[in-house]
Amino acid sequence: MSRRRRRQTIVRVALLLGGLVIIAVPYLWIILTAFKRPVDAAAVPPMIFSPLTLKNFSALVEGPFAGSLWASLIITVLTTVFTLLLGVPAGYAFARGHFAGRRFFAGWLLFSRMVPPVIFIIPLFLFFHQLHLIDSYIGLTLAYLTGLLPFTVWMTASYFQEVPLELEEAARVDGASRLRTFRTIVLPLAAPGVITVGFLIAIAAWSEYFIPLILAGVNTTPATVGLVNFIGVDTINWGALAAGALALVIPTFIVTLLAQRGMLRGLTAGAVKG
Amino acid sequence: MIRSSSTGQAPARRGGLSAILDRFYLVTAAWPALVVMVGVTAIPFIVTIGLAFTNYDLVRSAGWKFIGLENFADLLKDRATPQIVFNTAYLVIGTTTLETLLGLLLAVLMETGIRGIGLLRTAYLLPIMTAPIVVALTWRAMFNNDAGWINYFLGIVHLPQPTWLGNPSLAMPAVIIADMWTGVSFQAVLLLAGLLAVPRELKEAAESDGASPWQVFRNVTLPSLRPVLFIAIVLRFMDAFRKFEGIQVLTTGGPGNASTPLNLHIYNTGLFYHQVGYAAAYGVVMILLIGVSITAIYLAVGRSR
Repeated sequence: MSRRRRRQTIVRVALLLGGLVIIAVPYLWIILTAFKRPVDAAAVPPMIFSPLTLKNFSALVEGPFAGSLWASLIITVLTTVFTLLLGVPAGYAFARGHFAGRRFFAGWLLFSRMVPPVIFIIPLFLFFHQLHLIDSYIGLTLAYLTGLLPFTVWMTASYFQEVPLELEEAARVDGASRLRTFRTIVLPLAAPGVITVGFLIAIAAWSEYFIPLILAGVNTTPATVGLVNFIGVDTINWGALAAGALALVIPTFIVTLLAQRGMLRGLTAGAVKG
Repeated sequence: MIRSSSTGQAPARRGGLSAILDRFYLVTAAWPALVVMVGVTAIPFIVTIGLAFTNYDLVRSAGWKFIGLENFADLLKDRATPQIVFNTAYLVIGTTTLETLLGLLLAVLMETGIRGIGLLRTAYLLPIMTAPIVVALTWRAMFNNDAGWINYFLGIVHLPQPTWLGNPSLAMPAVIIADMWTGVSFQAVLLLAGLLAVPRELKEAAESDGASPWQVFRNVTLPSLRPVLFIAIVLRFMDAFRKFEGIQVLTTGGPGNASTPLNLHIYNTGLFYHQVGYAAAYGVVMILLIGVSITAIYLAVGRSR
């Protein structure tokens, strides 16, 4: 029996490590290619290990990519701040129940998460054209809200629901206003959850490609869209592309490691009690 | 302790703005988000539905008019339509099925207490958090005919080295393989959470009744996993419908239309060829398809028995 169990464990570990290799290979490609000279990056057959260089990174800093990283940062901060400002109070209202239109609101939240963004972005493109919001940070932030605001309301509501109502009532009996109760009692208790939601919004905004592809312009192009510019008409600068990819990936990795405990719940948007 | 004081916080029953805020606090908290949602989702949604019945064109936008169901009639006659719908089904069903099955296997493998498993579970989170554009570009490099790693390794083990992205019958499989890198991890992480939530007593009771591991999985674990499985399948389905970077950048939908699903086709038609009205009609088709498939998944998996 115990021999069988040991064999099972060995098979399990072998399969898990095999999976880990598959996960690792694309990252390995990015890291190795980012430090390759252009000749080696396009070598046939591929050179997996080759002389190292930092040229790709200096090319990034000198080219327009550095500016697009800055644009990405601005968009990420704006989106995270506005989504939380709008979404957190709404999540609280949603968690605490009864107001006019709540059921419709709930239905719309779910529905707008199911509809692909292209359905919203084409009309937004037409509106923004009229309103001169194409290639503006305000326009991009508004467009990012289409997906992230419903997500935030839904997620934070699930965290607020866990704050015991008695604590709020006790504060109210002591004469605290709703706003004060929210600020001093509810928000601190739900803070870990709200912070996780903030991290998830930031990662999503940082990684967004489709919306800025349509609504950004020369002044606001984020790094996700800028990365594709390394694909030329007949040549691709793989080295610089990989260096750019690394610049995009590293911040999200750090945030993922910081926030991993709450991430799972974010992925399921409260569907799985994690 | 908590009293109104010089901070300007009025207690519950007093006049002024604070009192109004107090009485209608839920509506007050909800309405800014509601207004924004109406602006960025509800109105655009209605406009897209409306556009589907017009001949609106980005370049000649001045003289647009309602043309009834003409777009839908054109769409049925369009020779691209069957291919696009087929590609959508291929992509959505292919990714969801493969990723859910392999994800379930991976989740079962990860449901263990061996040392270092926490680190491993974190590793499987990383692909999910990697920007889809980075995933698409990396796989494009790896699928490269001559300089790509995949054909290089296939060559080492003496397997055929196909032109992945230039071959109409391999372009969509390449898209699905690249999608699985993220998708299997995604399903595994979700389903693992579901597995860990299955009450241990249930499994132990079945085991002490002499059930084999497979019987325990089939008759105890899987039924308890049903709600999570439903959510996981629906989320993956919706992700496949809206998949963009992993196609536009990996295969550019080609060769020809061989790997273009509805989502990319709507983008191409509306914003590249400027036929916004026609694109919106495809959008309506996509929304209907999503509605039908989610209902089907619900009937197959989600219903509690």
